[in-house]
Amino acid sequence: MRLPRLFRTTPFRLTLLFLVVFAAAASAFLAYIYLATAGEVNRHADAAITREMQSLEAIYRRGGFAVLNQTIIDRTSGDHGFLYLLMNKDGQPVSGSLAVSPVEGRQAGDRQWASFRLNETDPDGTMIRRPARGLQERLAGGELLFVGSDVGEAEGYVVKIARALWGAAALVILLGLAGGVVVSRDVSRNINSLTGVIGAVRGGDLRARAEVRHTGDEYDELASGLNDMLDRLERSIGGLRHAGDAIAHDLRSPLTRLRARLEAAAIEADNGKGDPVGALHTALEDADNVLKTFNAVLSIARLEAAVEPPNPVVFDPGELAAGVAELYEPLCEDKGLEFRAELTPALQLRGNREFIAQALANILDNAVKYTPEGGAVMLRVRRRSSGDVEMSVTDTGPGVPETERARVIQRFVRLENSRNEPGAGLGLSLVGAVAQAHKGQLELDEGPGSVDGSGPGLRVALVLPKMG
Amino acid sequence: MRLLIVEDDVVAGEVMLKGLTDAGHECIAAPDGQAGLLAAKGAKFDVMIVDRMMPRLDGVSMVEILRKEGDQTPVLFLSALGEINDRVAGLNAGGDDYLVKPYAFAELIARVEALARRRETGSVQTLLRVGDLEMDLIGREVRRQGKEIDLQPREFQLLEFLMRNAGQSVTRTMLLEKVWEYHFDPQTNVIDVHISRLRSKIDKGFDRPMLQTVRGAGYRLEA
Repeated sequence: MRLPRLFRTTPFRLTLLFLVVFAAAASAFLAYIYLATAGEVNRHADAAITREMQSLEAIYRRGGFAVLNQTIIDRTSGDHGFLYLLMNKDGQPVSGSLAVSPVEGRQAGDRQWASFRLNETDPDGTMIRRPARGLQERLAGGELLFVGSDVGEAEGYVVKIARALWGAAALVILLGLAGGVVVSRDVSRNINSLTGVIGAVRGGDLRARAEVRHTGDEYDELASGLNDMLDRLERSIGGLRHAGDAIAHDLRSPLTRLRARLEAAAIEADNGKGDPVGALHTALEDADNVLKTFNAVLSIARLEAAVEPPNPVVFDPGELAAGVAELYEPLCEDKGLEFRAELTPALQLRGNREFIAQALANILDNAVKYTPEGGAVMLRVRRRSSGDVEMSVTDTGPGVPETERARVIQRFVRLENSRNEPGAGLGLSLVGAVAQAHKGQLELDEGPGSVDGSGPGLRVALVLPKMG
Repeated sequence: MRLLIVEDDVVAGEVMLKGLTDAGHECIAAPDGQAGLLAAKGAKFDVMIVDRMMPRLDGVSMVEILRKEGDQTPVLFLSALGEINDRVAGLNAGGDDYLVKPYAFAELIARVEALARRRETGSVQTLLRVGDLEMDLIGREVRRQGKEIDLQPREFQLLEFLMRNAGQSVTRTMLLEKVWEYHFDPQTNVIDVHISRLRSKIDKGFDRPMLQTVRGAGYRLEA
């Protein structure tokens, strides 16, 4: 059988455990109190009985059996609170308030304590049995004397205390259970909303979020932690899904082209015409380009999913830019572009050298690609007044209209007039991803302006935050 | 050359085996790290091609064990993991080069041959000579047929790499990695421009061009 949900919650179980421990402790406490009090009552009675016995023995020693007998008769009729029984040598009752000695058996010793029950009839005629204690002694002449005391009243008091304690224990247990239920309900309600979110996410709904009540308690903390985690997860998965879509989208056309080329080459080869070897080499080049695109998209997706740049090191951005400039300068010259570099020395940046170099290479690549012959490309690394490091490339090409600037950073976006240039349209997307992974920015601006029908040019700046 | 191919992907292993055998190398294949370790201990190889991720014993652990035992055979790691961290981890484990899948076969052959060659010419050389081309590594001078050729520092490094791998194809990616130390693919082949500059310096005015373009692979310096 399954217990109701409430009874399976952790707080409720803890409450139960607490109650069990509490009940055990309370029982031990009660037992101790009972024993201590009850023992005290008996000791008190015993002391009184012993004193009375001593006083009667004194009377016996002074006056003998007859005087004792008379005293017993007197004390029995008076209200002394004691029970008496005087017996002769054979144990036959002589006088006193008891009919039979509670001490059983003839072989009873000279001094014998006994606990017994006293049968009494109350005024209504109902029989009640009250606890009593007594001491029987053999007197010097061989006669037996029993002195007892009714302890019922004192013991009743102890029983009342015990009953009160049990009542209190029951009350505590009930209150504890009720408290446990309330606490469990509260915890369950909070946890339920979280498990609900987890269940929804497990079911595939990545947009499920836990409710944050802004109470600042640990449930809120847990809920906002969970939400943050889900946000990140959703972004990463979204990025990967987008990368997947992008790969599928962009690889389909080159793969289709590749297939068509191979098919055409196969038909030509069958007919003994064409250049099958050349076709194979072209196909290989196509395949390489497909792989290149694939790798670029993968890099972008990974960067976008990264919390911080991979393998960050401290380096001099001017030096890094000089290296990349050295790689691209001959390309500029070949294309008839003037190339200039203005690199502020001794700056420091923290990040992934390789990705920043690649980002810079991509920006330069675009500049060289889109700037017509006779133009100029300028690479600049400087520190902004804010302390951030700006690595920018300015060209005198056609530029990008202001309305299109945000769009060209997106993956696979290539403006109409650049469709015939090689490239997969991933260059600036990667720069954007590098900027994002370094918590920097990618800025696109107008270049130096229109001159002689060319321009207005483009200025692309990778701005990376200062260290620390 | 004797090559050990340790690759758990059967098809990839077979393609490699066939391609490298066709290229004139003697190849032995092992399907996982354990088998690779046994094969490496059992015989001498010129180069080992080791996949990073394999069942039983992964490539990095396998190479670490071999290096600990004093085996200095050059290792080319193959990996589907292209992250820089992975490359650094592979090279730290004792790998000599790192190639990310998928790769062009020409790239694989070029790198394997470069590794084997590097081993042959492991001793410190101060003078490189390929045909009538001479490079003095201490005086930083290059001469062809006794005529001095003036090179920029980077051109000098580029030529040095080509001369050390003379007769072998080297890919653009290899040049970018070994000469410029960049591990990314530029969108345009900037390397081509540098090569054509170098070519104009070492081949212009001489009857026979040395620096040749290998279609689908890269470049080759011929004596």
